[in-house]
Amino acid sequence: MTRLHDALDGIAEEAPLVNLADLAIAGHRRRRRATLTLAAVATVAVLGVATAAVALPEPHGDDTATPRGVDTVPDLPDGKVGSLGHAYKTPCKVDPERRRQPPDCSAVEWRLVTRTGTTYRMPQALPRTTQGRNAPVAISRDGRMIAYYSRQAQAHVVRDLVSGSEVTSSVTVKEERIGVGSMLVVSDDGRHVLFDPREGSKEPGLLIEMRTGRTVPVHGKFETISIKDGVAALVRYVKTDLWLMPVTGGGSPVRFDGVFIMFSELAPDGRTVAAFDFERKGHIKNTLTLLDARTGKILRRVAIRGLPEKGGVSSVSLWRSGSEVTIVHENMGAGTYAVDVNTGRARRLAGYPGKGAHLALPGMAGL
Amino acid sequence: MNHHDGFREFVLARQQALMRAAYLLTGDAHLAEDLLQSVLIKVVGKWPKLSKNGNPEAYVRKALVNQYISWRRRPRPESPSADPPERGASYDEAALDRIVLRQALAKLTPKQRAVIVLRFWEDLTETQAAETLGCSVGTVKSQVHHALARLRALAPELAHLLSDSEIREVAR
Repeated sequence: MTRLHDALDGIAEEAPLVNLADLAIAGHRRRRRATLTLAAVATVAVLGVATAAVALPEPHGDDTATPRGVDTVPDLPDGKVGSLGHAYKTPCKVDPERRRQPPDCSAVEWRLVTRTGTTYRMPQALPRTTQGRNAPVAISRDGRMIAYYSRQAQAHVVRDLVSGSEVTSSVTVKEERIGVGSMLVVSDDGRHVLFDPREGSKEPGLLIEMRTGRTVPVHGKFETISIKDGVAALVRYVKTDLWLMPVTGGGSPVRFDGVFIMFSELAPDGRTVAAFDFERKGHIKNTLTLLDARTGKILRRVAIRGLPEKGGVSSVSLWRSGSEVTIVHENMGAGTYAVDVNTGRARRLAGYPGKGAHLALPGMAGL
Repeated sequence: MNHHDGFREFVLARQQALMRAAYLLTGDAHLAEDLLQSVLIKVVGKWPKLSKNGNPEAYVRKALVNQYISWRRRPRPESPSADPPERGASYDEAALDRIVLRQALAKLTPKQRAVIVLRFWEDLTETQAAETLGCSVGTVKSQVHHALARLRALAPELAHLLSDSEIREVAR
Protein backbone atom coordinates (compact mmCIF):
# COMPACT_ATOMS: atom_id res chain seq x y z
CA MET A 1 0.00 0.00 0.00
CA THR A 2 1.29 3.44 -0.88
CA ARG A 3 0.84 6.65 1.11
CA LEU A 4 -1.24 7.96 -1.80
CA HIS A 5 -3.53 4.95 -1.35
CA ASP A 6 -3.92 5.77 2.34
CA ALA A 7 -4.72 9.42 1.62
CA LEU A 8 -7.28 8.41 -1.04
CA ASP A 9 -8.74 5.92 1.41
CA GLY A 10 -9.10 8.71 3.97
CA ILE A 11 -11.17 10.72 1.48
CA ALA A 12 -13.24 7.64 0.52
CA GLU A 13 -14.02 7.11 4.22
CA GLU A 14 -16.07 10.32 4.11
CA ALA A 15 -18.53 8.81 1.60
CA PRO A 16 -22.03 8.94 3.08
CA LEU A 17 -23.93 5.79 3.96
CA VAL A 18 -26.55 5.04 1.32
CA ASN A 19 -29.43 2.69 0.73
CA LEU A 20 -30.01 2.69 -3.00
CA ALA A 21 -31.57 -0.66 -3.91
CA ASP A 22 -35.23 0.41 -3.72
CA LEU A 23 -34.49 3.84 -5.20
CA ALA A 24 -32.77 2.22 -8.18
CA ILE A 25 -35.66 -0.24 -8.71
CA ALA A 26 -38.20 2.61 -8.46
CA GLY A 27 -36.08 4.68 -10.89
CA HIS A 28 -35.98 1.80 -13.33
CA ARG A 29 -39.77 1.38 -13.18
CA ARG A 30 -40.30 5.10 -13.60
CA ARG A 31 -38.04 5.17 -16.62
CA ARG A 32 -39.86 2.24 -18.23
CA ARG A 33 -43.25 3.80 -17.62
CA ALA A 34 -42.04 7.13 -18.98
CA THR A 35 -40.80 5.51 -22.20
CA LEU A 36 -44.04 3.57 -22.74
CA THR A 37 -46.34 6.54 -22.15
CA LEU A 38 -44.32 9.29 -23.77
CA ALA A 39 -46.63 9.67 -26.77
CA ALA A 40 -49.75 9.69 -24.59
CA VAL A 41 -48.27 12.30 -22.23
CA ALA A 42 -47.37 14.55 -25.15
CA THR A 43 -50.94 14.45 -26.43
CA VAL A 44 -52.41 15.21 -23.00
CA ALA A 45 -49.96 18.10 -22.55
CA VAL A 46 -51.07 19.75 -25.80
CA LEU A 47 -54.71 19.41 -24.82
CA GLY A 48 -53.97 20.64 -21.29
CA VAL A 49 -52.30 23.82 -22.50
CA ALA A 50 -55.24 24.60 -24.76
CA THR A 51 -57.72 24.08 -21.89
CA ALA A 52 -55.70 26.15 -19.44
CA ALA A 53 -55.52 29.03 -21.89
CA VAL A 54 -59.30 29.10 -22.01
CA ALA A 55 -59.91 28.53 -18.30
CA LEU A 56 -57.37 30.95 -16.76
CA PRO A 57 -59.11 33.85 -15.04
CA GLU A 58 -58.01 37.40 -15.66
CA PRO A 59 -55.62 38.78 -13.09
CA HIS A 60 -57.22 40.74 -10.26
CA GLY A 61 -55.78 43.03 -7.66
CA ASP A 62 -54.99 41.80 -4.16
CA ASP A 63 -58.42 41.07 -2.75
CA THR A 64 -57.31 39.12 0.30
CA ALA A 65 -58.28 40.26 3.78
CA THR A 66 -54.73 41.30 4.76
CA PRO A 67 -54.94 44.73 6.33
CA ARG A 68 -52.69 47.38 4.81
CA GLY A 69 -49.80 48.71 6.80
CA VAL A 70 -49.21 45.35 8.50
CA ASP A 71 -46.02 43.34 7.93
CA THR A 72 -46.83 41.19 4.91
CA VAL A 73 -43.63 39.17 4.57
CA PRO A 74 -44.70 35.75 3.25
CA ASP A 75 -43.83 32.45 4.89
CA LEU A 76 -41.06 30.43 3.29
CA PRO A 77 -42.91 28.25 0.77
CA ASP A 78 -42.26 24.55 0.22
CA GLY A 79 -40.02 23.80 -2.73
CA LYS A 80 -37.39 25.87 -4.49
CA VAL A 81 -36.70 29.49 -3.57
CA GLY A 82 -33.06 29.86 -4.62
CA SER A 83 -29.84 30.52 -2.70
CA LEU A 84 -29.73 32.84 0.28
CA GLY A 85 -27.88 36.11 0.62
CA HIS A 86 -28.39 36.27 4.38
CA ALA A 87 -30.82 35.65 7.23
CA TYR A 88 -31.66 37.88 10.16
CA LYS A 89 -33.66 37.75 13.33
CA THR A 90 -36.28 40.40 13.93
CA PRO A 91 -35.59 42.38 17.11
CA CYS A 92 -37.55 42.29 20.36
CA LYS A 93 -39.93 45.23 20.81
CA VAL A 94 -39.15 47.84 23.41
CA ASP A 95 -41.98 50.10 24.60
CA PRO A 96 -40.40 53.60 24.75
CA GLU A 97 -42.71 54.55 27.60
CA ARG A 98 -41.83 51.47 29.66
CA ARG A 99 -38.10 51.24 29.18
CA ARG A 100 -37.61 49.53 32.53
CA GLN A 101 -39.88 46.65 31.50
CA PRO A 102 -38.23 43.67 29.75
CA PRO A 103 -38.56 43.85 25.97
CA ASP A 104 -41.34 41.91 24.27
CA CYS A 105 -39.69 39.07 22.33
CA SER A 106 -42.85 37.11 21.60
CA ALA A 107 -42.88 38.05 17.91
CA VAL A 108 -39.19 37.48 17.22
CA GLU A 109 -38.60 35.31 14.14
CA TRP A 110 -35.95 34.32 11.62
CA ARG A 111 -36.28 35.81 8.16
CA LEU A 112 -34.44 34.68 5.05
CA VAL A 113 -33.37 36.97 2.23
CA THR A 114 -32.56 35.30 -1.08
CA ARG A 115 -29.81 36.50 -3.39
CA THR A 116 -32.47 37.97 -5.64
CA GLY A 117 -33.75 40.04 -2.69
CA THR A 118 -36.96 38.23 -1.72
CA THR A 119 -37.62 38.03 2.03
CA TYR A 120 -39.44 35.13 3.69
CA ARG A 121 -40.47 34.44 7.27
CA MET A 122 -39.21 31.11 8.56
CA PRO A 123 -41.50 30.25 11.49
CA GLN A 124 -40.24 26.66 11.59
CA ALA A 125 -36.77 27.88 12.68
CA LEU A 126 -36.76 28.43 16.44
CA PRO A 127 -35.50 31.99 17.19
CA ARG A 128 -35.45 31.82 21.02
CA THR A 129 -35.80 29.01 23.50
CA THR A 130 -38.36 29.07 26.30
CA GLN A 131 -35.48 30.09 28.60
CA GLY A 132 -34.84 33.11 26.39
CA ARG A 133 -31.62 31.83 24.79
CA ASN A 134 -30.96 32.75 21.20
CA ALA A 135 -31.28 29.80 18.82
CA PRO A 136 -29.04 30.25 15.76
CA VAL A 137 -29.40 29.34 12.11
CA ALA A 138 -26.45 28.61 9.82
CA ILE A 139 -26.15 29.10 6.06
CA SER A 140 -23.76 27.12 3.86
CA ARG A 141 -20.95 28.93 2.05
CA ASP A 142 -22.84 28.98 -1.24
CA GLY A 143 -26.13 30.04 0.38
CA ARG A 144 -27.86 26.86 -0.73
CA MET A 145 -28.40 25.18 2.65
CA ILE A 146 -29.83 26.52 5.85
CA ALA A 147 -29.61 24.63 9.14
CA TYR A 148 -31.94 25.44 12.02
CA TYR A 149 -33.43 23.96 15.16
CA SER A 150 -37.01 22.76 14.94
CA ARG A 151 -38.98 22.80 18.18
CA GLN A 152 -41.52 20.43 16.68
CA ALA A 153 -38.90 17.83 15.69
CA GLN A 154 -36.66 18.54 18.70
CA ALA A 155 -33.82 18.21 16.26
CA HIS A 156 -31.82 20.11 13.69
CA VAL A 157 -33.09 20.40 10.15
CA VAL A 158 -31.23 21.25 6.94
CA ARG A 159 -33.24 22.73 4.11
CA ASP A 160 -31.84 22.80 0.57
CA LEU A 161 -33.28 26.04 -0.81
CA VAL A 162 -32.33 25.28 -4.40
CA SER A 163 -33.94 21.83 -4.63
CA GLY A 164 -36.53 22.38 -1.89
CA SER A 165 -35.62 19.14 -0.09
CA GLU A 166 -35.31 18.96 3.68
CA VAL A 167 -33.52 16.54 6.01
CA THR A 168 -34.39 16.28 9.70
CA SER A 169 -31.69 14.85 11.92
CA SER A 170 -32.59 11.69 13.79
CA VAL A 171 -30.52 12.95 16.73
CA THR A 172 -32.86 14.42 19.34
CA VAL A 173 -31.52 17.58 20.95
CA LYS A 174 -33.62 18.91 23.81
CA GLU A 175 -34.42 22.61 23.53
CA GLU A 176 -32.94 23.21 27.00
CA ARG A 177 -29.51 22.22 25.63
CA ILE A 178 -29.41 25.41 23.58
CA GLY A 179 -27.52 27.62 25.99
CA VAL A 180 -25.98 31.08 26.08
CA GLY A 181 -23.99 31.71 22.89
CA SER A 182 -25.08 28.48 21.23
CA MET A 183 -23.49 28.04 17.78
CA LEU A 184 -24.42 26.20 14.61
CA VAL A 185 -22.39 25.46 11.48
CA VAL A 186 -23.48 23.62 8.33
CA SER A 187 -21.29 22.08 5.65
CA ASP A 188 -21.65 23.11 2.01
CA ASP A 189 -23.40 19.89 1.05
CA GLY A 190 -25.69 20.03 4.09
CA ARG A 191 -24.53 16.62 5.25
CA HIS A 192 -22.94 17.81 8.45
CA VAL A 193 -24.16 20.15 11.15
CA LEU A 194 -22.07 21.11 14.13
CA PHE A 195 -24.03 22.16 17.19
CA ASP A 196 -22.17 23.85 20.03
CA PRO A 197 -24.61 24.14 22.95
CA ARG A 198 -22.72 26.91 24.69
CA GLU A 199 -19.86 28.88 23.23
CA GLY A 200 -16.82 29.13 25.44
CA SER A 201 -17.97 26.49 27.94
CA LYS A 202 -16.64 22.99 28.55
CA GLU A 203 -19.90 21.46 27.38
CA PRO A 204 -19.05 19.28 24.36
CA GLY A 205 -20.39 20.04 20.90
CA LEU A 206 -21.92 17.56 18.51
CA LEU A 207 -21.02 16.98 14.87
CA ILE A 208 -24.10 15.38 13.33
CA GLU A 209 -24.23 13.55 10.01
CA MET A 210 -27.74 14.52 9.02
CA ARG A 211 -28.74 11.49 7.01
CA THR A 212 -27.42 8.70 9.18
CA GLY A 213 -27.60 10.35 12.58
CA ARG A 214 -23.99 9.39 13.19
CA THR A 215 -22.44 11.80 15.68
CA VAL A 216 -18.90 12.77 16.61
CA PRO A 217 -18.45 14.61 19.92
CA VAL A 218 -16.43 17.82 19.78
CA HIS A 219 -14.31 18.90 22.74
CA GLY A 220 -16.15 21.65 24.59
CA LYS A 221 -13.15 23.95 24.77
CA PHE A 222 -13.10 24.24 20.98
CA GLU A 223 -15.26 26.62 18.98
CA THR A 224 -16.25 25.84 15.41
CA ILE A 225 -15.12 28.03 12.54
CA SER A 226 -16.29 26.07 9.51
CA ILE A 227 -16.92 22.66 8.00
CA LYS A 228 -15.30 22.51 4.60
CA ASP A 229 -13.92 19.74 2.39
CA GLY A 230 -14.73 17.06 4.97
CA VAL A 231 -12.86 18.86 7.76
CA ALA A 232 -14.26 20.80 10.70
CA ALA A 233 -12.00 23.70 11.69
CA LEU A 234 -12.12 24.15 15.48
CA VAL A 235 -10.39 26.80 17.57
CA ARG A 236 -9.53 26.85 21.24
CA TYR A 237 -9.10 30.41 22.34
CA VAL A 238 -6.48 31.90 24.64
CA LYS A 239 -3.95 29.11 24.12
CA THR A 240 -4.52 29.35 20.91
CA ASP A 241 -5.03 25.96 19.20
CA LEU A 242 -6.46 25.12 15.78
CA TRP A 243 -7.82 21.62 15.28
CA LEU A 244 -8.63 20.48 11.76
CA MET A 245 -10.85 17.55 12.63
CA PRO A 246 -12.01 15.25 9.82
CA VAL A 247 -15.81 14.85 9.95
CA THR A 248 -15.22 11.21 10.80
CA GLY A 249 -13.28 12.30 13.92
CA GLY A 250 -9.57 12.25 14.72
CA GLY A 251 -6.71 14.64 14.05
CA SER A 252 -4.98 16.74 16.67
CA PRO A 253 -4.59 20.47 17.38
CA VAL A 254 -1.78 22.75 16.29
CA ARG A 255 -0.71 25.48 18.74
CA PHE A 256 -0.11 29.00 17.50
CA ASP A 257 2.69 31.17 18.65
CA GLY A 258 0.55 33.89 20.26
CA VAL A 259 -3.06 34.61 21.17
CA PHE A 260 -5.50 35.12 18.33
CA ILE A 261 -9.23 35.62 17.93
CA MET A 262 -11.78 35.76 15.11
CA PHE A 263 -10.45 33.10 12.77
CA SER A 264 -11.20 32.76 9.08
CA GLU A 265 -11.90 29.43 7.46
CA LEU A 266 -8.93 27.61 5.94
CA ALA A 267 -7.68 29.46 2.85
CA PRO A 268 -7.86 27.82 -0.59
CA ASP A 269 -4.19 26.81 -0.25
CA GLY A 270 -5.33 24.38 2.46
CA ARG A 271 -2.97 25.68 5.13
CA THR A 272 -3.34 29.41 5.80
CA VAL A 273 -5.82 30.96 8.23
CA ALA A 274 -6.36 34.64 9.00
CA ALA A 275 -7.10 35.92 12.51
CA PHE A 276 -6.72 38.98 14.70
CA ASP A 277 -3.90 39.30 17.15
CA PHE A 278 -5.31 39.57 20.64
CA GLU A 279 -2.19 40.66 22.48
CA ARG A 280 -1.00 43.60 20.47
CA LYS A 281 -2.96 46.47 21.94
CA GLY A 282 -4.37 48.87 19.40
CA HIS A 283 -3.88 46.38 16.59
CA ILE A 284 -6.94 44.26 17.28
CA LYS A 285 -9.16 46.14 14.90
CA ASN A 286 -6.96 46.80 11.95
CA THR A 287 -4.15 44.27 11.78
CA LEU A 288 -4.85 40.88 10.33
CA THR A 289 -2.41 38.06 11.02
CA LEU A 290 -1.88 35.21 8.58
CA LEU A 291 -1.03 31.92 10.27
CA ASP A 292 0.27 28.59 9.03
CA ALA A 293 -2.22 25.90 10.09
CA ARG A 294 0.44 23.18 9.77
CA THR A 295 3.18 24.68 11.89
CA GLY A 296 1.35 27.25 13.98
CA LYS A 297 3.81 29.91 12.83
CA ILE A 298 2.96 33.49 11.96
CA LEU A 299 3.35 34.04 8.24
CA ARG A 300 2.86 37.81 8.23
CA ARG A 301 0.82 40.68 9.60
CA VAL A 302 -1.22 42.91 7.34
CA ALA A 303 -2.50 46.35 8.32
CA ILE A 304 -6.01 46.82 6.96
CA ARG A 305 -6.77 50.06 5.13
CA GLY A 306 -10.15 51.40 4.10
CA LEU A 307 -12.44 50.35 6.97
CA PRO A 308 -14.85 52.88 8.53
CA GLU A 309 -13.33 54.72 11.47
CA LYS A 310 -16.32 54.08 13.71
CA GLY A 311 -17.24 50.60 14.90
CA GLY A 312 -15.07 47.52 14.74
CA VAL A 313 -14.44 44.16 13.15
CA SER A 314 -16.75 41.47 14.51
CA SER A 315 -15.56 38.43 12.55
CA VAL A 316 -13.37 37.05 9.79
CA SER A 317 -14.96 34.47 7.53
CA LEU A 318 -14.72 33.21 3.96
CA TRP A 319 -11.87 33.45 1.50
CA ARG A 320 -13.09 34.89 -1.79
CA SER A 321 -9.86 33.83 -3.50
CA GLY A 322 -6.32 32.98 -2.49
CA SER A 323 -5.64 36.65 -1.77
CA GLU A 324 -8.93 38.05 -0.43
CA VAL A 325 -10.61 37.22 2.85
CA THR A 326 -14.00 38.52 3.99
CA ILE A 327 -14.41 40.36 7.27
CA VAL A 328 -17.55 41.66 8.96
CA HIS A 329 -17.42 45.18 10.36
CA GLU A 330 -20.13 46.52 12.65
CA ASN A 331 -21.26 50.08 13.14
CA MET A 332 -25.01 50.70 13.46
CA GLY A 333 -25.50 47.50 11.47
CA ALA A 334 -23.08 45.15 9.79
CA GLY A 335 -21.11 45.41 6.56
CA THR A 336 -18.92 42.90 4.78
CA TYR A 337 -15.52 43.84 3.34
CA ALA A 338 -13.04 41.92 1.19
CA VAL A 339 -9.50 42.43 2.47
CA ASP A 340 -6.55 41.86 0.14
CA VAL A 341 -4.08 39.97 2.34
CA ASN A 342 -1.14 41.21 0.26
CA THR A 343 -1.90 44.94 0.32
CA GLY A 344 -4.30 45.19 3.29
CA ARG A 345 -6.77 47.16 1.18
CA ALA A 346 -10.42 46.62 2.19
CA ARG A 347 -13.30 47.05 -0.24
CA ARG A 348 -16.93 47.10 0.79
CA LEU A 349 -19.04 44.19 -0.43
CA ALA A 350 -22.47 44.61 1.18
CA GLY A 351 -24.25 46.39 4.00
CA TYR A 352 -26.92 45.11 6.37
CA PRO A 353 -28.20 48.24 8.10
CA GLY A 354 -29.84 47.60 11.44
CA LYS A 355 -29.13 43.86 11.32
CA GLY A 356 -25.88 43.55 13.20
CA ALA A 357 -27.00 41.68 16.30
CA HIS A 358 -28.52 38.55 14.81
CA LEU A 359 -27.35 38.32 11.26
CA ALA A 360 -26.51 34.98 9.63
CA LEU A 361 -24.21 35.16 6.61
CA PRO A 362 -23.21 32.32 4.28
CA GLY A 363 -20.34 30.22 5.61
CA MET A 364 -20.23 31.84 9.03
CA ALA A 365 -20.94 30.07 12.28
CA GLY A 366 -24.49 31.02 13.32
CA LEU A 367 -24.76 32.68 16.72
CA MET B 1 -39.54 -14.45 -4.38
CA ASN B 2 -39.45 -11.07 -6.12
CA HIS B 3 -37.47 -10.97 -9.40
CA HIS B 4 -35.50 -7.99 -8.03
CA ASP B 5 -34.33 -9.87 -4.93
CA GLY B 6 -30.99 -10.83 -6.48
CA PHE B 7 -30.31 -7.21 -7.44
CA ARG B 8 -31.38 -5.99 -4.02
CA GLU B 9 -29.05 -8.46 -2.32
CA PHE B 10 -26.15 -7.38 -4.52
CA VAL B 11 -26.75 -3.68 -3.81
CA LEU B 12 -27.06 -4.22 -0.07
CA ALA B 13 -23.78 -6.09 -0.01
CA ARG B 14 -21.75 -3.83 -2.32
CA GLN B 15 -23.32 -0.36 -2.29
CA GLN B 16 -21.01 1.10 0.34
CA ALA B 17 -17.86 -0.01 -1.47
CA LEU B 18 -19.27 1.34 -4.73
CA MET B 19 -20.27 4.58 -3.02
CA ARG B 20 -16.72 5.07 -1.79
CA ALA B 21 -15.47 4.73 -5.37
CA ALA B 22 -18.15 7.15 -6.61
CA TYR B 23 -17.22 9.63 -3.89
CA LEU B 24 -13.53 9.48 -4.76
CA LEU B 25 -14.37 10.04 -8.42
CA THR B 26 -16.69 13.00 -7.90
CA GLY B 27 -15.44 14.46 -4.60
CA ASP B 28 -19.02 15.42 -3.71
CA ALA B 29 -21.55 13.42 -1.70
CA HIS B 30 -24.61 14.42 -3.73
CA LEU B 31 -22.94 13.88 -7.09
CA ALA B 32 -21.57 10.54 -5.90
CA GLU B 33 -25.02 9.38 -4.90
CA ASP B 34 -26.52 10.63 -8.18
CA LEU B 35 -23.78 8.87 -10.10
CA LEU B 36 -24.19 5.53 -8.35
CA GLN B 37 -27.97 5.69 -8.45
CA SER B 38 -28.06 6.44 -12.18
CA VAL B 39 -25.75 3.49 -12.84
CA LEU B 40 -27.78 1.16 -10.63
CA ILE B 41 -31.01 2.17 -12.41
CA LYS B 42 -29.45 0.94 -15.65
CA VAL B 43 -28.22 -2.22 -13.96
CA VAL B 44 -31.74 -3.20 -12.75
CA GLY B 45 -32.91 -3.80 -16.32
CA LYS B 46 -29.82 -5.80 -17.20
CA TRP B 47 -29.71 -7.76 -13.94
CA PRO B 48 -31.01 -11.15 -15.18
CA LYS B 49 -28.33 -11.24 -17.88
CA LEU B 50 -25.57 -9.84 -15.67
CA SER B 51 -26.20 -12.20 -12.78
CA LYS B 52 -26.18 -15.24 -15.07
CA ASN B 53 -23.31 -14.45 -17.37
CA GLY B 54 -20.95 -12.07 -15.81
CA ASN B 55 -19.38 -10.34 -12.90
CA PRO B 56 -21.98 -7.69 -11.93
CA GLU B 57 -19.61 -5.74 -9.71
CA ALA B 58 -17.02 -5.37 -12.46
CA TYR B 59 -19.78 -4.18 -14.79
CA VAL B 60 -21.05 -1.64 -12.24
CA ARG B 61 -17.54 -0.31 -11.55
CA LYS B 62 -16.90 0.05 -15.26
CA ALA B 63 -20.23 1.81 -15.78
CA LEU B 64 -19.51 4.07 -12.80
CA VAL B 65 -16.18 5.25 -14.18
CA ASN B 66 -17.50 5.75 -17.70
CA GLN B 67 -20.63 7.54 -16.57
CA TYR B 68 -18.48 9.84 -14.42
CA ILE B 69 -16.21 10.66 -17.36
CA SER B 70 -19.25 11.47 -19.52
CA TRP B 71 -20.58 13.85 -16.86
CA ARG B 72 -18.36 16.73 -17.93
CA ARG B 73 -21.36 18.98 -18.28
CA ARG B 74 -22.16 18.70 -14.55
CA PRO B 75 -21.03 21.62 -12.40
CA ARG B 76 -18.00 20.78 -10.27
CA PRO B 77 -17.55 21.98 -6.71
CA GLU B 78 -15.70 25.28 -6.47
CA SER B 79 -12.01 24.93 -5.79
CA PRO B 80 -10.22 28.24 -5.78
CA SER B 81 -6.45 28.20 -5.87
CA ALA B 82 -3.69 30.16 -4.20
CA ASP B 83 0.05 30.10 -3.80
CA PRO B 84 0.77 27.90 -0.81
CA PRO B 85 3.09 29.31 1.81
CA GLU B 86 6.44 27.66 2.53
CA ARG B 87 6.34 24.21 3.97
CA GLY B 88 7.15 23.76 7.64
CA ALA B 89 7.35 21.01 10.25
CA SER B 90 4.26 18.93 10.82
CA TYR B 91 2.09 18.23 13.83
CA ASP B 92 -0.74 16.29 12.20
CA GLU B 93 -0.55 16.32 8.45
CA ALA B 94 -3.00 13.62 7.43
CA ALA B 95 -6.05 15.92 7.53
CA LEU B 96 -4.24 18.69 5.67
CA ASP B 97 -2.91 16.22 3.09
CA ARG B 98 -6.47 15.10 2.44
CA ILE B 99 -7.66 18.69 1.96
CA VAL B 100 -4.84 19.48 -0.46
CA LEU B 101 -5.21 16.16 -2.30
CA ARG B 102 -8.96 16.66 -2.64
CA GLN B 103 -8.43 20.14 -4.09
CA ALA B 104 -5.75 18.90 -6.49
CA LEU B 105 -7.93 15.98 -7.63
CA ALA B 106 -10.72 18.45 -8.41
CA LYS B 107 -8.43 20.12 -10.94
CA LEU B 108 -7.61 16.96 -12.88
CA THR B 109 -9.57 16.01 -15.97
CA PRO B 110 -12.23 13.32 -15.31
CA LYS B 111 -10.09 10.71 -17.08
CA GLN B 112 -6.96 11.64 -15.12
CA ARG B 113 -8.89 11.46 -11.87
CA ALA B 114 -10.37 8.11 -12.86
CA VAL B 115 -6.95 6.57 -13.56
CA ILE B 116 -5.63 7.79 -10.22
CA VAL B 117 -8.56 6.14 -8.44
CA LEU B 118 -8.33 2.92 -10.46
CA ARG B 119 -4.56 2.50 -10.28
CA PHE B 120 -3.75 3.84 -6.81
CA TRP B 121 -6.88 3.27 -4.77
CA GLU B 122 -8.48 0.24 -6.40
CA ASP B 123 -4.95 -1.07 -7.15
CA LEU B 124 -5.92 -2.30 -10.62
CA THR B 125 -3.18 -3.27 -13.04
CA GLU B 126 -2.72 -1.22 -16.20
CA THR B 127 -4.51 -3.92 -18.18
CA GLN B 128 -7.46 -4.01 -15.77
CA ALA B 129 -7.68 -0.21 -15.73
CA ALA B 130 -7.62 -0.16 -19.55
CA GLU B 131 -10.42 -2.70 -19.63
CA THR B 132 -12.50 -0.67 -17.18
CA LEU B 133 -12.00 2.54 -19.12
CA GLY B 134 -12.43 0.88 -22.50
CA CYS B 135 -9.10 2.16 -23.81
CA SER B 136 -5.62 0.83 -24.57
CA VAL B 137 -2.92 0.09 -21.99
CA GLY B 138 -0.83 2.81 -23.63
CA THR B 139 -3.57 5.36 -22.99
CA VAL B 140 -3.75 4.35 -19.32
CA LYS B 141 0.03 4.72 -19.02
CA SER B 142 0.03 8.19 -20.53
CA GLN B 143 -3.00 9.30 -18.51
CA VAL B 144 -1.35 8.13 -15.27
CA HIS B 145 1.89 9.87 -16.21
CA HIS B 146 0.08 13.15 -16.93
CA ALA B 147 -2.17 12.87 -13.86
CA LEU B 148 0.79 12.36 -11.50
CA ALA B 149 2.74 15.18 -13.14
CA ARG B 150 -0.26 17.46 -12.75
CA LEU B 151 -0.74 16.49 -9.10
CA ARG B 152 2.94 17.29 -8.47
CA ALA B 153 2.60 20.66 -10.18
CA LEU B 154 -0.69 21.55 -8.47
CA ALA B 155 0.38 20.47 -5.00
CA PRO B 156 4.16 20.30 -4.51
CA GLU B 157 3.52 19.77 -0.80
CA LEU B 158 2.09 16.34 -1.65
CA ALA B 159 5.47 15.15 -2.96
CA HIS B 160 5.82 12.79 0.00
CA LEU B 161 2.59 11.02 -1.04
CA LEU B 162 3.86 10.59 -4.58
CA SER B 163 7.38 9.45 -3.80
CA ASP B 164 6.74 5.78 -2.95
CA SER B 165 8.72 3.46 -5.23
CA GLU B 166 5.57 1.90 -6.76
CA ILE B 167 4.35 5.32 -7.86
CA ARG B 168 7.74 6.51 -9.11
CA GLU B 169 7.97 3.37 -11.23
CA VAL B 170 4.53 3.91 -12.73
CA ALA B 171 5.26 7.55 -13.45
CA ARG B 172 8.36 6.82 -15.52
